[in-house]
Amino acid sequence: MKAKSSPYIRAVRPLLEKLLADLKQRYPYASVLASDCREKIYRVNRRLSDINGSGMLSARGFVVKVFDGTYWSEHSFNEITEDTIPDILRQIAETSAISEGAFPEGIGQNEYTLPEEEETVFQGSTECVKDPEETDDDEILARMEEIRDRGLAFSEKILDCIVQINWNHTSKLFLSPKKDLEQNILWTTGMTVAAAAKGQEIKSSFRTASLLGGMEIMDQLDADMEKAAGTTLELLDSLPIEAGEYDCVCDPEVTGMIVHEAFGHGVEMDMFVKKRALAEKYIGRYVASPLVTMHDGAAALAQTGTYFFDDEGIMAHDTVVIDRGILRTGISDYQSARILGTEPTGNGRRESYRRKAYTRMTNTWFEGGTDSVEDMIASIDYGFLLEEPSSGMEDPKNWGIQCMVSIAREIRDGRLTGRIFSPIVLTGYVPDLLKSISMMSPDPQLSGSGFCGKGYKEWVKVSDGGPYIKARIRLG
Amino acid sequence: MIGKIQDILNGLGIDTYCIRETRSWSAEGFFVKKNLDLKRRTTLTDYQVSVYCISEKDGERFTGDSTVPVYPGMDDEELKRTLKSAYHAASFVRNPYYPLPEGKKETPVSSESGFAGMPLEKCMMRVAEILYASDVCEDVFVNSAEIFAVKKIRRVVNSRGVDVSWETFEVNGEYVIQCITPNDVETHHRFAMREPDEAAFRADVEHALRQTRDRAQATQPAPGGTYTVILSGENVNTLVSYYVDRASAGMIYQRYSDYEVGKAVQGESVRGDALTIRLKAAEPYDSQGIALTDRTLLENGVVRTIQGGARMAHYLGIEPTGEYRWIEVPTGSAAFSEMKKRPCLHVVLFSDFQMDSMTGCFGGEIRLAYLYDGTDIKRITGGSLNGSILKAQENMTFSRERYRSAAYEGPFAVAIPDVTVAGISAS
Repeated sequence: MKAKSSPYIRAVRPLLEKLLADLKQRYPYASVLASDCREKIYRVNRRLSDINGSGMLSARGFVVKVFDGTYWSEHSFNEITEDTIPDILRQIAETSAISEGAFPEGIGQNEYTLPEEEETVFQGSTECVKDPEETDDDEILARMEEIRDRGLAFSEKILDCIVQINWNHTSKLFLSPKKDLEQNILWTTGMTVAAAAKGQEIKSSFRTASLLGGMEIMDQLDADMEKAAGTTLELLDSLPIEAGEYDCVCDPEVTGMIVHEAFGHGVEMDMFVKKRALAEKYIGRYVASPLVTMHDGAAALAQTGTYFFDDEGIMAHDTVVIDRGILRTGISDYQSARILGTEPTGNGRRESYRRKAYTRMTNTWFEGGTDSVEDMIASIDYGFLLEEPSSGMEDPKNWGIQCMVSIAREIRDGRLTGRIFSPIVLTGYVPDLLKSISMMSPDPQLSGSGFCGKGYKEWVKVSDGGPYIKARIRLG
Repeated sequence: MIGKIQDILNGLGIDTYCIRETRSWSAEGFFVKKNLDLKRRTTLTDYQVSVYCISEKDGERFTGDSTVPVYPGMDDEELKRTLKSAYHAASFVRNPYYPLPEGKKETPVSSESGFAGMPLEKCMMRVAEILYASDVCEDVFVNSAEIFAVKKIRRVVNSRGVDVSWETFEVNGEYVIQCITPNDVETHHRFAMREPDEAAFRADVEHALRQTRDRAQATQPAPGGTYTVILSGENVNTLVSYYVDRASAGMIYQRYSDYEVGKAVQGESVRGDALTIRLKAAEPYDSQGIALTDRTLLENGVVRTIQGGARMAHYLGIEPTGEYRWIEVPTGSAAFSEMKKRPCLHVVLFSDFQMDSMTGCFGGEIRLAYLYDGTDIKRITGGSLNGSILKAQENMTFSRERYRSAAYEGPFAVAIPDVTVAGISAS
């Protein structure tokens, strides 16, 4: 079934059309984005359960963006009636009218040219098997408690088991002089976590699931709890790693973090505008092993980073960023593309209507190769199989890497020894790591359980992944 | 709107609830080099409504809750449907019983911030002016900046009489400093100020410019090994957040922490500085409407307060303190200059310094550090640090020099012996 449209957006659409008509009389270009994002987060652990309908992304409101012939201005608000339209017009007029006389000495404004648009009318919705808004809370909680209990029964050493499911249903309407776009997107994510104590240390392991769809995700979570519990017990005996550079096999989630943090942020073209990204100088050059082909695109496949059009009304793309080792292009929001003289790639995203749009990733991944995981492990004299990434931080300017990983499984003489090292910090220089990739498994797997920030804020939903890869990586 | 929500809750027979209203206004400036790239303004009103279902089974009482957002544009029918659905969800949640905080209607608290008398756009531009005043060099400069001037009025109303509201002003944001010679590098800086402390912000910017110039000259990674590591600035706050987290009722109730009042948590034989941490009431109330007062969390390494909101405090049988966001740590025992006289690695910039309160592990990739060998100072970049506060906490020494940020006031630096650093080859 298709994700439903928002009754609220349908109800206020005539008011938004009136607002846009008024704006068009005042400005050479204007757009209105309406967003209605509903979500629910279910969480159970040993002692507590929660159902929360007010998550980080829950928001309903509007943003108007106007172009006065030279400069851009925006106003975000969350109430519109016939009576409030004059105030909305006043607010955007006051913002647009702030002139250089009010600026600090020596500060000017970036100048733009009039946007060019093609006539586009679009309406699209994603599909789901089991609509979460039609599924009773009782049924969902009962299933999650059953999964939790299996984890707790796994061993007396298990201190806690957490099961979490989060669905998000976002409806958007974008109106501009030539565009009338509507989309309804439903994604769901799930996570199972097991924790155990080793003195004051709490060790934990997790499994995640994500899909563009609904409560059919529960089938994926079923098998995960025992795996997380088993790994948690292994972590109780984990050792600190001896720092050094090693041959490593990365599982698809670690590959995903490398794709996303190490390289993806570096090709966000709003960073090109600011001269903050080294990648700008490497277009057309080898930045990775010839085995590597990297994509980003909301239209490329069905995962949590999927949508039909971005928050600036640009239709979604499937962008080939790296083609067999050669950096072909970055990804871009509309405003950055105007400055750079490039085509926007449908990557202009807002955390919510409350925030500015930036260039952001969507679904980002490496294509698969031809090697088996067994062959990768067998090819290593001494190294590690890396699993369970926890966080990472971008460095577009200098292509440094910081990725945190929970598990490094020791490989000796082509076999896993059973010894585990934790926690692990991956560091290094991005092209060195990407050029060292020497083997890749056939099937890329994407995970959309996490959020992506721009620096330390602006959280949006993305997915990332790839195949198992073999590479040379510095661990500490 | 709050009255309308209460009327509908009453009509649905929902007698236990908490309504949080946040009205906010912002003026935002996005700068690229010395040009404003985008001007923004926001005018928002948000509501969050928590509904509670009290039930009883086999003589045991339970509290289920569910929270939903409520928007100004909701009509009566949608509002009723939303609240009814939330109560339906709450009826399936069976957590041990707890009562909501009790209170009365209090006089709204106005902000006394120096920003309060200024239009938000002017606040934003004033901070931009200070930022760019130090941007006078050709080789090291402000690459980009985002500045948000935000006014908020929050109100919390619950079914047990709590009715409080308070106003806040804050100018926050981030800026990136770039230095183009001898190497082209950047550093990233965040700020948040509730008072227009222009001198302090100017000093921060000038410090950031100097740090970035140093990073541009740093090419060598630290040789791998074990060091006395000095952390400074916001990284000290991040490090001691371990104790704030571990002393939270939520972690204790979930058995992730064994802290209790009177427990010596830095170990039996503290050879460095025994930590004292005070929780500061930077705002008059927390998100449940609990009045905040300054409290001592840790005193000389011994837990004095377990902090938590109504639910977790009730579960542990302690007084609900409310939830705090600002801490103060008294001055340490060592002069910062003395710390650097012995061989050490002073890491000033990480890509993202992390403290994991569950495992006690801290670390991150080094963007800029100073390696002191007793005589010379080398600028270092690259490599990573990986330590455990559980191993370090008996031997941490804090500085006499102070540092203040949006959520911390305390020692500027901490020295931690025997921390592992993974060095890398220069790229």
